[in-house]
Amino acid sequence: MAEIRDIKLPMTEEDVKSLKLGEMITVSGLLFTGRSRLHIRAIEDNIYPPIDYEKINCFFHVGPVMRQEEDGEWKVVSCEPTSSIRFERYGADVVRKFKLRTLIGKTTMGPATAQALKEVGGIYLSKIGLSGNALKDQVKKVHDVYFLDELGKTECTWIYEVDHFGPFFVAMDSEGNNYFEDLAKEAESKMPEIEKDLGIPAGYDYTEVNAK
Amino acid sequence: MIRRETIVEAMYNAIRLGATKMPPDIRRALQNALKEETDPMAVKHLEVSLQNADMSEKGNGLVCADTGFPMYFIHAGAKTQLEGGFGILKECAEEATARATAECFLRPTMVHPLTRKNPGNNVGPGMPKIEVVFDRDDDSLEILAAPKGGGSEIFGTFYRMMFPADGEAGIKKFVIECIKDACYAGKVCPPAIIGVGIGGTADLCMSMAKKAALLRPIGKKHTDPEAARLEKELYEASRKLGIGPMGSRGINAVLAVNVDVAVTHTAALPVAVNAQCMVGRRWIAKIDGNGNIDYTGEME
Repeated sequence: MAEIRDIKLPMTEEDVKSLKLGEMITVSGLLFTGRSRLHIRAIEDNIYPPIDYEKINCFFHVGPVMRQEEDGEWKVVSCEPTSSIRFERYGADVVRKFKLRTLIGKTTMGPATAQALKEVGGIYLSKIGLSGNALKDQVKKVHDVYFLDELGKTECTWIYEVDHFGPFFVAMDSEGNNYFEDLAKEAESKMPEIEKDLGIPAGYDYTEVNAK
Repeated sequence: MIRRETIVEAMYNAIRLGATKMPPDIRRALQNALKEETDPMAVKHLEVSLQNADMSEKGNGLVCADTGFPMYFIHAGAKTQLEGGFGILKECAEEATARATAECFLRPTMVHPLTRKNPGNNVGPGMPKIEVVFDRDDDSLEILAAPKGGGSEIFGTFYRMMFPADGEAGIKKFVIECIKDACYAGKVCPPAIIGVGIGGTADLCMSMAKKAALLRPIGKKHTDPEAARLEKELYEASRKLGIGPMGSRGINAVLAVNVDVAVTHTAALPVAVNAQCMVGRRWIAKIDGNGNIDYTGEME
């Protein structure tokens, strides 16, 4: 397999354009974390971490396990990307609001976020396997934390400095293409044959008991 | 008489070991899956996940950061006696869960469903979940701790009340569509273990699906030949979807399809599906009547 490229954060438009669907990369630099609560509050309540989103422009979808050492320093115990598709209701608005070029998570996102990424020149990176232990070692420093008291350790926003963080793969490129949607179409096309092998009659439907 | 502190210790260690170790049967199954996959991405997903499990085992890290829903499945015997009676099992589970959370073996993940408030210790109404069955004839207490990740529970839970006329075709259509949807984009972290409940009441049906996914060793088939036949047919069908590890191009969307059945209403055909993720976390603490604890990841 070809050597895995490391891309510096924040990504430039050129970086984003050079990334191919399915390509594996690592990233180095600053990122911020968040999950459902950040998405909902940023859009519904206009409450979000007061950071410079031009500099800290990579949104890592994660609820890490964090431990506070005796000297007060925070350490990452494990960080496993969480399922981004859950955030699709607010995903596009968040990408536009902060002009995010890099999203990192698990699974994928939907067509609305794909459109927003296309507009701002952004990509979506999805995780490879379960790798929370390797990823935690690639977090070199925990710079800051926002809304810890309000949201707790899992939903609050952490600012990480990461080095050769990953690998992740490009699951959505800046042209609106989605690795998983292509795969889903392939799986769907196999269903008639699979159903036939299982002895399910063609055109089979469940008994309908409700008014149409 | 088994002492209260022994029960808490056993529960704490079982959930801690569950969160930090991959069960041996799951590891073997993932290694076999790795031999079968050819797509570079599918291979990488499995290699990385197995390395991750090695790292957590060596460094006391976590097999997955989403330690999810804390659950304890307990077996007791006809002669089992607990200090304080069986009513203490709930508070023992709460104490063990809170301790494992404070020590960062569990992530504080359980929140109130309406206020979304997080108490920070994974303890609240209904959680940790405990279930006790009295199916032994000795004086032992066996505790299986299963921290179940959100991905598999959130994206891998399906239920449909069908009717006798919907037949076996309906069951198969429902299950294979559930597998396809659950594994899309790696939502349930495939290769998944798919539990299928058929029959019973709605809650029993789902409970059977969950236990079939969580509590059966990989490779063990149902003793009912009809259920075992369905398991085999659905497993083989899942391998033709073209979906592999973490939703990549591949063969192993699932490691096993485990069916369980219960008698049901003559008018009904309830079917439930519950998925377990590829790390299949569970660990067992066996306490004998003298309070000796033995821990194992091997299921019988």
